[in-house]
Amino acid sequence: MVITMEDIAITADNRTAQILNGQAVSDADAYGFNNEGIDDTVLSVKGLNLWYGEKQVLFDVDMPVAKNSITALIGPSGCGKSTLLRCMNRMNDLVDGCRVEGRITYAGEDIYAAGTDINAVRKCIGMIFQKPNPFPKSIRENIVYGPRIHGITKKGDLDEIVERTLRQAALWDEVKDRLDTSGLSLSGGQQQRLCIARALAVDPDIILMDEPTSALDPIATAKIEELCLELKKRYTVVTVTHNMQQARRISDKTGFMYMGKMVEFGDTEKVFDSPAQERTMKYVSGMFG
Amino acid sequence: MFTYRGGPKAVAGSYSDKAVKYTLMAIAFAAVLILIAVTVFIAGNSFTAISEIDLVRFFTDAEWKPSDGLYGAGSIILGSLLVTLGAMVFAIPVGVGSAIFMSEVAPEKVRNILRPVIELFAGVPSVVFGFFGLMVIVPALADLFPDQTPTGFSWLAASILLGFMALPTIISISQDALEAVPRSYREASLAMGSTRWETTSKIVVPAAMSGILSAIILGIGRAIGETMAVMMVTGNAALVPEPLWNVFSFVRTITSTLALEMPEVVVGSTHYSALFLLGLILMIVTLCISLVAKHAVRAMVEKSCRGDSTSRLVKLAGEDRMPFLKNAVCISFVAVAVCMACVLFMPWGQAAIVAVAVAVFTFVIGCVSRRISRVFRQRIMHTFLLASVLLCVGVLVIMIGDIVIKAMPALSLDFITDFPSDAGRSGGICPAIIGTLKLIAGTAVISLPIGILTGTYLAEYSKRGRFTCAVEYSIEILNGTPSIVFALFGLSAIVTILGLGISLLAGCITLAFMILPVIIKTTEDALMNVPREVREASYALGASKRHTTFMVVLPAALGGILTGAILGLGRAAGETAPIMFTAAVLMQYKVGWGVLDPVMALPYHLYYLATEGAADPSMQYATALVLLVIVLSMFLLANVIRKRSNEKNRW
Repeated sequence: MVITMEDIAITADNRTAQILNGQAVSDADAYGFNNEGIDDTVLSVKGLNLWYGEKQVLFDVDMPVAKNSITALIGPSGCGKSTLLRCMNRMNDLVDGCRVEGRITYAGEDIYAAGTDINAVRKCIGMIFQKPNPFPKSIRENIVYGPRIHGITKKGDLDEIVERTLRQAALWDEVKDRLDTSGLSLSGGQQQRLCIARALAVDPDIILMDEPTSALDPIATAKIEELCLELKKRYTVVTVTHNMQQARRISDKTGFMYMGKMVEFGDTEKVFDSPAQERTMKYVSGMFG
Repeated sequence: MFTYRGGPKAVAGSYSDKAVKYTLMAIAFAAVLILIAVTVFIAGNSFTAISEIDLVRFFTDAEWKPSDGLYGAGSIILGSLLVTLGAMVFAIPVGVGSAIFMSEVAPEKVRNILRPVIELFAGVPSVVFGFFGLMVIVPALADLFPDQTPTGFSWLAASILLGFMALPTIISISQDALEAVPRSYREASLAMGSTRWETTSKIVVPAAMSGILSAIILGIGRAIGETMAVMMVTGNAALVPEPLWNVFSFVRTITSTLALEMPEVVVGSTHYSALFLLGLILMIVTLCISLVAKHAVRAMVEKSCRGDSTSRLVKLAGEDRMPFLKNAVCISFVAVAVCMACVLFMPWGQAAIVAVAVAVFTFVIGCVSRRISRVFRQRIMHTFLLASVLLCVGVLVIMIGDIVIKAMPALSLDFITDFPSDAGRSGGICPAIIGTLKLIAGTAVISLPIGILTGTYLAEYSKRGRFTCAVEYSIEILNGTPSIVFALFGLSAIVTILGLGISLLAGCITLAFMILPVIIKTTEDALMNVPREVREASYALGASKRHTTFMVVLPAALGGILTGAILGLGRAAGETAPIMFTAAVLMQYKVGWGVLDPVMALPYHLYYLATEGAADPSMQYATALVLLVIVLSMFLLANVIRKRSNEKNRW
């Protein structure tokens, strides 16, 4: 499956009309975006502060995520981009001493509100990790695990899900004859695509990707990137990346983070070509980070 | 397309998550309760003795004659200490030497062979060691030193045996410590032109010192709590050796006193209580040992982590500050030791002459050794290391070979399927085999659910806090507690107070309590080894904690958990002391299936045949062989499972 640059441009154009101004200025409250009235914002982060123990890691972060788009988060190591991503499906709840203030609204509800069913949140907002992390089970078991815990038990349904998701992840042809071998026996790139298939199997709405290609070689990386572009037709993708070319190639929106703050957020082209902030410009032109 | 609030099902999920958590917590609490129960019963039963016996005399008098009302446990406590000391004199150099050889000298191939051999060593039941001591070491000593020890039963025999039994502990833990020393240390030293031996002795060993020390301390703990082997070879006379270092003297240890007198004592009498007091002392001693192993070693590690520790350690090991004084102390130490040893064989005057001669000889050797080349010195040291490994392997081979060869004449299908007749002198051992298998199965049924679930609680659910701390401490303490203490507990609490009588169930409960710490620990370790990413992957799919734990993490750790479980059960299968008072009977002429019936068991049957049964030796050997085959095949199975799961799960 090939996506032409025109496709991307068209999508990006459509977005531009709807997405708020890219003229972000220094502080988060000065972004001035008001996405609540806009239909295609599927998830929005508002005034998010986060502490690991005593140390504050995120400062007043605001960010909208548009439906059926790819949003990239860039920034130097330790700037908090992975932490922000992990807030979006509450994976940070697993970290001891982590405290979050602010709101992340998904489908009209704050996912940090008391009484929220975290597991339901994570079912809707899936995640792909930096290092491929298949379960030490067979390829088939890896995929049917998710649907099974969410109540799908008929073998026919599960088989269908296995084939559909492996096809979506462009892995079906490579593994269809060995679905019962261990997921750990695949190559790194195949493992990562298996993880994507596994995430798709619970039918999520948003897929968060935490540097999904940093452990992979260039060929495997290209395949994952191609896959991301395909995925955004049905899903919404938020990805963290160290690779600025990658952000530029695949994303519609880019957020640049530095020292726990969202320095600039806007259309990818704008962030890369005519950033409003000097720090952004220095970073995207490779002068620091 | 999707529903955000997961609907009634997902909400129910969070309730059952809580239910799972509290259930696991309750089970983990069982571990604490068991410890409290063990302590309460041992201490409570010793209360009569504490109030009725003069405690000063209890500790200082050497006369232990309960029938005459004399409770001087001094000689008994001393006996335990002396036997352990003797064992360590021999086990520390051989054990540490073997560990160094295996981690620093041996090539990969040899190491891969030696590791399972040492594990095999650890698996041999203590009653088989005792049997080997009785059949081989005791007669050998009687032949070698007919004037000093006409019977061969002696402190020396027990120390040799105990030394061998402590070896696997010392070797495997020291080896882990040595292998944990970073490769870069060795490379840095070698790159400066040091020989391999200099690198080993001045860099690697000092860097691994804390681990080696804890290995030694745990080895001491293993030796001091050992019952069966000691009981079978010391002669069991409560004497103070004369002179104190007379290794040929009879001695009696705390553990063997308990094992010998417990079955015959009147429940509730002063004697009964005095035995519990001995048990309490043993428990406190082993508790101190495990605390020292934990804290002293941790303190040492912290100390060596501070500042320029490496250079300081190197200095300590390498630099002679006062060469003359050090040499003088060494030589006089050798002289005194030789003199003391010689006194056992000859009059004082001659002994002194020999000692002086040896001192001079040592001095000369010392002078010469400074002149020999570094490479030659390395060769000598490596030869010593090799010799210590060969000693370990040799003893194991001799022991197993001896048992296999001498068992042959009696071994037949009838022996395995027949009932014993003529008080065990002829016939077979069928009920004992079935009894042992029943004990293994019963112990598994009781200990595996509690152990695995407690381990799961500790690894997956527990948070730092008082409760977790209490659970972990209890497990630590239970882990070091000698099996004979569990036997006392089984007798007083399960057999007598719970009223189960001498029965399969009572034996299984006692054994299960004993191996619980092993199963909890290995489960916890296996779960901890499952990478965090695997858990995150599951959570990211919207899985609940209980799904993640029971459908992903536990299956991923199954290999490690099974390995630990089988190792624990293997240990239970070979144990004699805990079942001696709780489950085993000497003879049975039909096999019943009631859980409240007593059973015959191989280890106890072997003990009986070897010490009282007066059976034909080949029958004893055959019984030992069957027991060995059962226990060692469990160890082998555990090894295979571990290897396969390691190969399968390369994260």
